[in-house]
Amino acid sequence: MLSAILVKEWLKIRWAWLGLLALHLGMLGYLYLVVRHQFRVEHSEMIWYWAFELRRLLYEPIQYLPLISGVLIAATQFGPEMIGGRFRLSLHLPLRGDLLVWSWVAFGALMGAVLALLDAFALYWIIGRWFPREAAVSAVLTALPWLLGGWVGYFGATLALLEPAVARRLVYLGLSAAFLALLFQHRGYQEYDQVLPVLIAVALLFIPAVILPAHRCRHRG
Amino acid sequence: MTARLARWSLLLLTVFLLAVWWPLLKDLLFEYRYGKTDLFYSPVIERFVYKELLGEGHRFIYRDQDGNDYDRQTFETLIPFIYYKNMELWGKLPLRLAGQRFDKAQIQAERQVLELEPVELPGHAPRIQLFPLLEANPGRARLRFPEDILRSGERLTFINSDANRIDPELTRVFTAALTEAGFAWPVQAVFGRVSILKAFDAGYFFLDQAGDLFQLRRVDGVPEVTPVPLPDGLAVRHVKVAENKRGDFLGLVLTEDGRLFLLTQDEARRNASGLTPLALPGYDPETMALKILFNPLYRTAIYSDQREIMAVAMDRQFEPIERYARTMAMAEPRLVDRLWEALVPFSLDLRDPDARHFRLNLKLHGPLALPAIGAALILARLLLWRRGLHSLSMAPSLLLVALTGLYGLIAIALIPPEPSNPGEAAAADQRRMAMERDAT
Repeated sequence: MLSAILVKEWLKIRWAWLGLLALHLGMLGYLYLVVRHQFRVEHSEMIWYWAFELRRLLYEPIQYLPLISGVLIAATQFGPEMIGGRFRLSLHLPLRGDLLVWSWVAFGALMGAVLALLDAFALYWIIGRWFPREAAVSAVLTALPWLLGGWVGYFGATLALLEPAVARRLVYLGLSAAFLALLFQHRGYQEYDQVLPVLIAVALLFIPAVILPAHRCRHRG
Repeated sequence: MTARLARWSLLLLTVFLLAVWWPLLKDLLFEYRYGKTDLFYSPVIERFVYKELLGEGHRFIYRDQDGNDYDRQTFETLIPFIYYKNMELWGKLPLRLAGQRFDKAQIQAERQVLELEPVELPGHAPRIQLFPLLEANPGRARLRFPEDILRSGERLTFINSDANRIDPELTRVFTAALTEAGFAWPVQAVFGRVSILKAFDAGYFFLDQAGDLFQLRRVDGVPEVTPVPLPDGLAVRHVKVAENKRGDFLGLVLTEDGRLFLLTQDEARRNASGLTPLALPGYDPETMALKILFNPLYRTAIYSDQREIMAVAMDRQFEPIERYARTMAMAEPRLVDRLWEALVPFSLDLRDPDARHFRLNLKLHGPLALPAIGAALILARLLLWRRGLHSLSMAPSLLLVALTGLYGLIAIALIPPEPSNPGEAAAADQRRMAMERDAT
């Protein structure tokens, strides 16, 4: 049963996910070219000075990429389910409703995590190509809140899409937006190092939370 | 069961987000523009004088420590070494003070400012530990960045910035130079000022495993190592380097126990007693920004956190003459601050004024918030009752409101309990309809 569910989820999101994979590869390629261009037109020691002392982030073009991906995966996964009451039909499968929803979001989150891992490794490699390893590690640490933004975006969109009542949808969107806004407040590198474990712990609350709209959908008169 | 767990997860998430956004929202809605008090020691009246913004617009006061008010121009004439350019414009140079005569050149020669802010201290800001070691004798008017950067650890590794590769020769030469000087590897900390916009380059100060301090400069391409003698028992926490051709001091040395010393510019004058101690009662480097003003007659240390400002006026030998402390106008809580805090029992401050790192500092608002918690509890009970909950079933939600006040009330209003069975939902609907009937 579980494998059938996962196959169904893959069939739902495959084109969107492959499109996102192409978008990520395209943006990472763009980032590679941007950094390369900088080192062609400026002296390398000046770019190092900007990066280390003036705290300029050369890799900011990819900051919203995980967020866009999270929202799009959720939209392709749960958007069609909400049309014509298909979602309520799915909840009558011979599997506990909460386990069913968790298996869906586990699959979606996993597919988002694959893209996030790609971003992290590519960022390390691109920055490490022109900077010492300390800067490459710093870039990945700086990008961690952006990757968490992908998680929040995915679960925020999932909550809003599964929720049957419009007013409650707005509540979920508001909460997700408030969380996301906390993750993009940086003025330089690694400013979230100390606070990120707390933010990750709070973001884990989304996992049990996604059951509520499914429960409301099922028990709605 | 999982639906209840889901709701409580959302409630906790809502409370957390409200607690973080509460202070941020206040800053957005009721911005604070007062700024810190400007405090000086007047060589004219030999009293402390200060300038302070009291409110909206340009409500400045210019006052001395005895409460005498001045107009702006008179105030500036009380601190003529600060406003010496205005003194020149107003024809008041040369100055005659304490039986001495000071012209513009003399004033300029003796003016110096040393500063140390909490955000500069290790642990208060993230820092990629790579440092460009400038050529101290560039043979031209301005300093320039080298094509390599220094990584410290078990040795000094130089990385060429063009090739992004280790330079083995520079690495060997500079590591050997520090080893020969008696450096105990690995490097514990590196201090210095990374800039080419300075009068000269003093290189970097390296703290070794034994707690000894060494100054390393690159002079004509080769290393020049100068051990910095430290008094016994002094554990260095931070060295603030401020290359300035004027003045006798290169910077400040902060110790692990919070004492502060001036570091002599002239290497020949640095000996075991060469660090000049500063007696600064009440100085807390974690939270206080420090400024030391030098003029031809006095040295004044001024240090302040977000509330208090303190100052010590010293003679040229750094012997304290007079001390002063006051609570700044910016520390006086505004009505909106009091109201904002009274509405909720706590808040989580994401921003720390003394650090670049984001932190979630819990700020408890104390008994001030009790009335708002009481009001939130009444409203929460009404809200839950309208949804048809019995006293026992509303207890967990009320406990949340009792602990989190308005945050909890907003959370349960946004995400109310789900009716556990259709009968309960119908009862809630009937109760709601009855209330609406009564209201009409």
